[in-house]
Amino acid sequence: MRKVIIGVGLLLATGALVGWSYGNLERGLLVAAALVLLWMLRNLVFLERAIQRDDFTAFRFGEGICQQLFSQFRYERERGDRYKSQRLQLLKEIRRSTRAMPDGAIILDAQLEIITCNRAAKSLAGLKPKKDRGQRVDNIIRDPALTELLRANDPAMTADIESPLQDYAWLNCRLVPYGAGQKLLIIRDVTERMRLNKMRRDFIANASHELRSPLTVICGYLDSFVDEASVPAEMRQPILQMQAQAQRMSGIVQDLLQLSHVEGSGGAGDDELVDVHAVLTAAADTYSSLDSSPEIRLEVESSARIIGVTREIESVVANLVSNAVRHTPKTGRIRLSWRVTDAGAELGVSDNGEGIAEQHIPRLTERFFRVDRGRSRADGGIGLGLAIVKHILQRHDARLEIKSAPGQGSEFRCCFPAERVSAAS
Amino acid sequence: MQASDLTQHISRRFNKDLEELRNKVLAMGGLVESQLSRAITAVVSGDSELGLEVANDDYKVNAFEVGIDEECSRILATRAPAAGDLRLIVAIIKTITDLERIGDEAEKIGFLASKLAAMDRPADSYRELKTLGIHVQQMLRDAMNAFARLDDAASIRIVHEDESVDDEYEAIQRQCITFMMEDPRSIKRVMNVTWAARSLERIGDHAKNISEYVIYMVQGRDVRHAGLSQQPPEN
Repeated sequence: MRKVIIGVGLLLATGALVGWSYGNLERGLLVAAALVLLWMLRNLVFLERAIQRDDFTAFRFGEGICQQLFSQFRYERERGDRYKSQRLQLLKEIRRSTRAMPDGAIILDAQLEIITCNRAAKSLAGLKPKKDRGQRVDNIIRDPALTELLRANDPAMTADIESPLQDYAWLNCRLVPYGAGQKLLIIRDVTERMRLNKMRRDFIANASHELRSPLTVICGYLDSFVDEASVPAEMRQPILQMQAQAQRMSGIVQDLLQLSHVEGSGGAGDDELVDVHAVLTAAADTYSSLDSSPEIRLEVESSARIIGVTREIESVVANLVSNAVRHTPKTGRIRLSWRVTDAGAELGVSDNGEGIAEQHIPRLTERFFRVDRGRSRADGGIGLGLAIVKHILQRHDARLEIKSAPGQGSEFRCCFPAERVSAAS
Repeated sequence: MQASDLTQHISRRFNKDLEELRNKVLAMGGLVESQLSRAITAVVSGDSELGLEVANDDYKVNAFEVGIDEECSRILATRAPAAGDLRLIVAIIKTITDLERIGDEAEKIGFLASKLAAMDRPADSYRELKTLGIHVQQMLRDAMNAFARLDDAASIRIVHEDESVDDEYEAIQRQCITFMMEDPRSIKRVMNVTWAARSLERIGDHAKNISEYVIYMVQGRDVRHAGLSQQPPEN
């Protein structure tokens, strides 16, 4: 920098000196200034050319201000290029990985309008990324279940919808909050899982149906043997045992059939008003008459009714009460309650029996799940009761809440939403 | 016309109204599509419960129609829309009528499914109804997609698609007549099959109508009863 100033100064001074020695100072200065100007102009032209050709080799060395300017420019430019290509590489990799994802991902803005989606979303849901940008996603995938999911805006919720492209294919959708107010809709192909589930349900339904008729015959004959006087006395005990086991087995088959029924169909009908008070009283009467039963206390605070199916609510109560009776010593106490709450109504069955360890609670409603296998079989349970309860409650839009601790008893509460509760009539 | 053209008004509120209206129509379309799909499943798998469920759910479709109709009248009265907006409203009023009719036909099919489930099932378990059903379902889905994307090119394809649905319906009818002549005891069952096929064919017609409204909405020309191929596109 300084060299340039000195250079220019020297040139001007030389010009002035030469001019003065010839007796014309101004002309000498003018010539020197014109030379400086020409030199600058030349550098500018070079720079312009270099930028255009993208070739800076001519300016790599040198110390003048222009050379410095050029090399600075070149350095910045190369750095920018490097940075850009790095970013592009990164972007390409991200693109490639989202494209390789087998699940569809659609990015939505706060108004649920499509911003972009990956390739799987195209092939699973038939989206056209360019054309559908700015469309609301439920305008393109119009399944009511998806609309419901988008409205609920709950990351834990999922919805199964039919594929808009393929027949008999199912997609599972989930909405995840993402970035600033954006949402990510993840779509997964679950056709295979749905098919397996259906197969399992069909198998259970068919098998239990087929088992029922032979069992009826066996039970029938055993019943008549029990009453038969001519049966030898030593056969009496085995026959009684056979009868008890056959009855237990038909109970299991009955449970399986009921489970496959309540599991297979959608919401429960709404044409009946269930008199919960009557159902609870009947259950209390039935179980109080058993020898092994603890005291059963009724706490009915409301005469509200449930809109649903009486037979199914009876089954819920019977399953919960029989569980409570089985796990409560004779000295204990069982409370059956029915009351209206802010959110709807609550049917409760609580006992002060042995209780359930915390790690078992989440799995209680799985079918065939038993906390203590050996013991509960002796009691006659096979682990279907709570599965039935759960599915019936689902059909009634209700939910099961379980509170329990070992040694302190258990509390099962069925919470019905307000739409399922009809005020006292 | 692009989907984004709808939102170009000075009044923000008007934009929102139109956008919401369109969303509602598409939601109604989605409901009708799922009703149709469930009705077809009920027939094919002989599920009487599902069939009745479909028949019972028709009130939801009707409720949509009433709600959208009211909204349209309100917009017409308060905003006095013109040009593209007016065409959009007019097309919506017509589209929801057709959607509602499709809902009715689906209800009918659901009801027939519950009746058919109680009767003997043929060995092919209504394969021809299934094929026709899937075809019609695809048509309806394409028609609603074209509505959402304001895609007039797709709409023109759908209008032509209806011809092959009609052909399929003819074939089913002929087959049914043969069955009835072969075995008069099957008449009761086969009659129900013809009714279901008839309903599906009608749904195809309604889907075609909806596509014609989309063409009207986008291009501003009325292609009903005119034969698409003869008419040159106006510019």
